[in-house]
Amino acid sequence: MRIAFSLAILCVAAFYTSVAFGGLPFLSSAGRLGPGFFPRIIGLSLVAFTLYNLYFDLKRRNREEPLTPFWSTTLVVALLSALFIVGLELLGGLLAMMAFMLVSLFVLNRRQPVVNALISIFLPIGIYVVFSVWLRAGLPEGLLPLPI
Amino acid sequence: MDIFDNLLLGLAVALQPINIVYLLIGTMVGMFVGIIPGFGPSAGLAILLPVTFGMEPTGAVMMLAAIYYGSMYGGTITSILLNTPGESATVASTFDGYPLAQQGRAGPALVMQAVASFIGGTIGVILITLLAPLFAQVARSFGPPEFFMLIMMGLLMLVVMIGENWRLGVISTLIGFALGTVGVDLETGSQRFTFGSAELIEGIDFIPIAIGLFGLGELYYSFYEGLHAKGSGGIIQYQKEKRFWPDLRDWIDTRFAMLRGSLLGFVIGVLPGAGATIASLMAYSVEKAASKTPERFGKGMMAGLAGPEAANNAASSGAMVPLLTLGIPGSGSTAVLLAAFLLWGLQPGPLLMAQNPEFAWGLIASMYLGNVALLAINIFAIPLFVLMIRLPYRILAPGVILICTIGTYAVHGSIIEVWLMFIAGLVGFLMKLYGFSPAATVLALVLGPMAEETLRQTLTISRGSAMIFIERGVSLTILLVMVAIVLAAAALRLSRTRARAAGSAPAVGS
Repeated sequence: MRIAFSLAILCVAAFYTSVAFGGLPFLSSAGRLGPGFFPRIIGLSLVAFTLYNLYFDLKRRNREEPLTPFWSTTLVVALLSALFIVGLELLGGLLAMMAFMLVSLFVLNRRQPVVNALISIFLPIGIYVVFSVWLRAGLPEGLLPLPI
Repeated sequence: MDIFDNLLLGLAVALQPINIVYLLIGTMVGMFVGIIPGFGPSAGLAILLPVTFGMEPTGAVMMLAAIYYGSMYGGTITSILLNTPGESATVASTFDGYPLAQQGRAGPALVMQAVASFIGGTIGVILITLLAPLFAQVARSFGPPEFFMLIMMGLLMLVVMIGENWRLGVISTLIGFALGTVGVDLETGSQRFTFGSAELIEGIDFIPIAIGLFGLGELYYSFYEGLHAKGSGGIIQYQKEKRFWPDLRDWIDTRFAMLRGSLLGFVIGVLPGAGATIASLMAYSVEKAASKTPERFGKGMMAGLAGPEAANNAASSGAMVPLLTLGIPGSGSTAVLLAAFLLWGLQPGPLLMAQNPEFAWGLIASMYLGNVALLAINIFAIPLFVLMIRLPYRILAPGVILICTIGTYAVHGSIIEVWLMFIAGLVGFLMKLYGFSPAATVLALVLGPMAEETLRQTLTISRGSAMIFIERGVSLTILLVMVAIVLAAAALRLSRTRARAAGSAPAVGS
């Protein structure tokens, strides 16, 4: 995983550098330092340091620590976070928050269904009041024609 | 106007009822942020920044600053009662804080940490009051070369402090710089790395990245470490102890430790990149070295708790000096504070104290009041925070995800920024997992545009010659300091390697 992460950074760094050299001029039309000046320095340095780091990663590839037993829970929480954002677009702010809390607490805290239900109702309402009513920030309305 | 008049002006601003309310909310929230393990002030500030948008700027920044220094107080409660530091700056407080609690002295330890934190924080604010105007005056003579070198020194310090994984720190910094180049180049008007997207023309906003890296990233990492599976069963029941207050012996034993910790912490806090964690660990070492009974450290010495506590609070005050007078943050937390300043159109730097005295001195005066409030809250509201410690992480965490997501959306009403925050969260988790530095990325993202602008201005002034950095006295001094930092770090590393080699080699004659 560590090597894959370093490789991913290297790919992004190489792409960044190629754009910096290919699409951004080093000097402006007025002869001053142009938009490509700084990105070229950053890109080249990033590629060089990532390669250097990758060398160390490869050298110690057999000493990588095993995953903790909680990696699957982490993955589930990350997936739920992503689904929550999708829910925001579909259901709107308040309903998506309630649904997310209910599902998350059902997954993480199964032994207290009543507590979960109460938190899932009142915490989203509290956040709705703070952001939508007090701060007038406006929450996502959602695509579905729901009353809230 | 002299310092005293300025301070009175600041007090008049800070004592406005609405500002006092914001300050008290900030101190309480800071305490709460501090006691949640795996959730530092950077995360707390980033997540709560959007909540302050509807507020008046001075009150909002006072509240955010209170969250920042309040978290230093809060983190120690779990260090003492649970042997789990609420955040990295309170790691040193577990060394003697928890043994004290095990010996039935949790009450005196909790009171002593509150008093030490108050003394450290207050000495820190007194030093800000005295030194910040001088710093600002000196900084007025700085030009682009000096500012560029200062930015580089701050980032270098941060990378050096990472230790053996310094190359990961460099990569983290470069990623932040790269993110900072997205958007319109202000000097030529050209678009960079926007790929035709209208959303990227104004650049990558700081808030989704900070909330993602610090908030979501930390949260995923806490799940990965199994924090949700741990209960608070091991918490020490301080209510059952006979004595709650420290005795005379404790006050005598710690009087110099607090003073030493405060001064050391402030100096380290002023240095960009060093911060409260280093300050508290160094203060612990200093106390141990200064003690007549160093062998008792780690077994429940009150000075081993008071010194680091005074240091981490004084460091958080010290970190405000470069932020206010140079506009250069030295850590992830102060980078978020800088972003808050900029959001309200306040440009920290040499002219801030002259152009916005009500704001600058109001903030400083609020820190005096904030420390007093925190002392009272720490001593009398401990039962409330113990209740908070008992709140299981598995219930708390979904609420944090909710606030991160809604907070990010609230800034510009952009769902794309929410997705950006989510991606930054995943990347932040992987960065933390593999030893990268999300703080360096955020700091570089904030400072990147300034670094680029000052470098281009410098090279324009010098007609492309880098010799300008050597020809100007201040920039040369900063350069020499940077060289000294690199050499010192290399020497330290070499000596550690030698010591390890000597330790692993078979003893002669064995």
